Amino acid sequence: MKKLITVITIIFSVSVNSQSVLPDLNLTILNGEEVSIRSISSDDKIAVVSLWATWCVPCIKELDAISEYYEEWKEEVDFELYAVSTDDSRTIKRVNAMVNGKGWEYNILLDTNNELQRSLGASTIPLTLIVKNNKIVYRHSGYSSGVEFELFDKIKELK
Amino acid sequence: MNRFLLLIVFLFSLITTSQNTENIFGSFESNSQLLQDDNALNFTSPEDNFRSNNYFQINYDIGKFSSGIQYESYLPNAMLGYYPEYDGKNEIGSYFINVKNEKADLTLGYFYEQFGNGLIFRAWENRQLGINNSIKGIKLNYTFSDSFSLTTIYGQQRNGFELNEATIQGIDSNLNLNKFFNFEELDLSIGASYIGRYQNNSANTLIPANVKSLGGRFNLYSGKFSLNFEAIIKDADVIANEGVIQSNKLYDGTALQVDFGYSKKGLGLSSTFRRLENFNFYSDRLAEGNIYNQQTISYTPALTKQQDYLLTNIYVYNAQPRLVINPLENRSGEVGSQTDFYYTFNKKSFLGKYKTKIAVNFSYWAAIESNFNPDESYDVEFIGNGNRYYRDINLELKNRWNKRFNTTLTMLDVVIDKGVALGGPLGVQGDIKAKVGVIEGTYRYDNGKSSRAVIQHLWTKQDKKNWVGLVYEYNFSTSLNLFIADGWNYGSSDKIHYYNVGGSYSKNNTRLSLNYGRQRGGLICVGGVCRYVPENTGINLNLNLVF
Repeated sequence: MKKLITVITIIFSVSVNSQSVLPDLNLTILNGEEVSIRSISSDDKIAVVSLWATWCVPCIKELDAISEYYEEWKEEVDFELYAVSTDDSRTIKRVNAMVNGKGWEYNILLDTNNELQRSLGASTIPLTLIVKNNKIVYRHSGYSSGVEFELFDKIKELK
Repeated sequence: MNRFLLLIVFLFSLITTSQNTENIFGSFESNSQLLQDDNALNFTSPEDNFRSNNYFQINYDIGKFSSGIQYESYLPNAMLGYYPEYDGKNEIGSYFINVKNEKADLTLGYFYEQFGNGLIFRAWENRQLGINNSIKGIKLNYTFSDSFSLTTIYGQQRNGFELNEATIQGIDSNLNLNKFFNFEELDLSIGASYIGRYQNNSANTLIPANVKSLGGRFNLYSGKFSLNFEAIIKDADVIANEGVIQSNKLYDGTALQVDFGYSKKGLGLSSTFRRLENFNFYSDRLAEGNIYNQQTISYTPALTKQQDYLLTNIYVYNAQPRLVINPLENRSGEVGSQTDFYYTFNKKSFLGKYKTKIAVNFSYWAAIESNFNPDESYDVEFIGNGNRYYRDINLELKNRWNKRFNTTLTMLDVVIDKGVALGGPLGVQGDIKAKVGVIEGTYRYDNGKSSRAVIQHLWTKQDKKNWVGLVYEYNFSTSLNLFIADGWNYGSSDKIHYYNVGGSYSKNNTRLSLNYGRQRGGLICVGGVCRYVPENTGINLNLNLVF
């Protein structure tokens, strides 16, 4: 047990230096095609990755809130938002209807067996990341009214 | 030994800082509760009143290889309502090594996977529900071309910290037909799956040692329309209840699911029809129907709206796919449908000024009409007119009145069979009919501060009668919030207040939440899979760290 603790503390101190990167995973888009999650922020592209589900109220609040400013913000800074649905087979069929019904313009990715969610250690959603060149530069879990402005402030810093 | 370990870790740290393709990452999650006696609930906390579920996961990726270990600890005991097999244990729960290139993806160790809808096979983890039915063995995904890919699996399923003795094998194939038909606007793919279980039958030839499921599916997608179809048949197998085989006969099982969708900007419609007849598959035939959702191979969640509030979560549906034949009740499965409609009013319209969005949901689930014969066989309709188990209608209206204030109005009308809601035989106890109304408002101040308040009421003449609920939450910043909530069952003779107070802190890689109060007993459902939680009072602490 003591050995385990020693190893864990050392790894913790080591990893404080290592920056988090996105795992090497392929997710599907609505028509079934696969997209590599690492390709979305390569070549200096700024990507916002937001994990959500059709049954997650704060996730929907966050995506609704951002959608009001999305067009305006994209004109100021060149970035894309990838809304990754962690819906599983129970609710996945609802994703397209909901995304369109709410008028969202985001890129939709599907993480139907929670692979991305698991690799990011996300025990709860919503989880929103800002990624550039595959490095996670901002991470926020949960939603409270107004956090979308903090998100955009961080995006502007990366410009 | 200590020095050797330190050397390895030191070398790791050298490598991680120098090269780009290396990565060490992981997470720590801890969910604990401290229970206390509560006379009003007749709840006496058990002697070991501190319960904790902890998960430590660490992964190491280098080049084409990735690996991971998950260590779990349920000390001194697992939280209330979780699979008792975990009580008092702490061990390595799972580990894996994976290597992949453009065509092949090979995993050795414990893995998760899903075929098609998951109806035929799903190995997944959900810590809130206490589910981890991963398979330990070998998984190979192979992409032959842009159009065709195959997944094969072989291994044994996890059961607590042990492995069930049955071997599970499976193949799933997916073929994209776009290239063959030169479709421009249409995406069409088809798939086929196979899952087999070999479980020792102790030379009892009446019990099949080899049982398999075969499934076929197609998915059609055109941007505006989508149509999905999946059908599965399962070999004749025994049926069991509470660890005991129930009948002398063998019964096969079927699952059928059809999904239809239509959407365009501002409007979305989605509808699902599903029929499950004796459809469940476990890696141990005797584990059928266990209340902890353990050892499952098939995945049959309830297809109803996931509810968001205290009082709308009281009468929730749990899927009923089983064939049950006993003196008290006879049923063969469930059939029904669910429909969702989403609409955002045009910005230029009157309602659009206030960014009005509506969402309507309707679902109906019933027994498949069946006739049971004295020799324990049965005749069954495709749908028929079986006992209604559940029917609900939901309406949700969201408005944003100005830059700072928005509201959500929710109304629910639900009818649920008493057996489904409270336990006992289905279709014979009568229904609970309830209506719930919820109004929620959020007001945003500056600097990340905001207030959220919810008022809700449940009307019913059955069960525990009426409830009223209140929640108030204040966000001090985007990282910190506090809340106070109460669900008051004033209609019942006990007039119990299910109060709760707490808060959460979330910044970058850390999330911490703490609350104290009374937990209503009943089903806690996440994503359609439910866990029964006994009534309890105490402190709950959740910590999540990612590195």
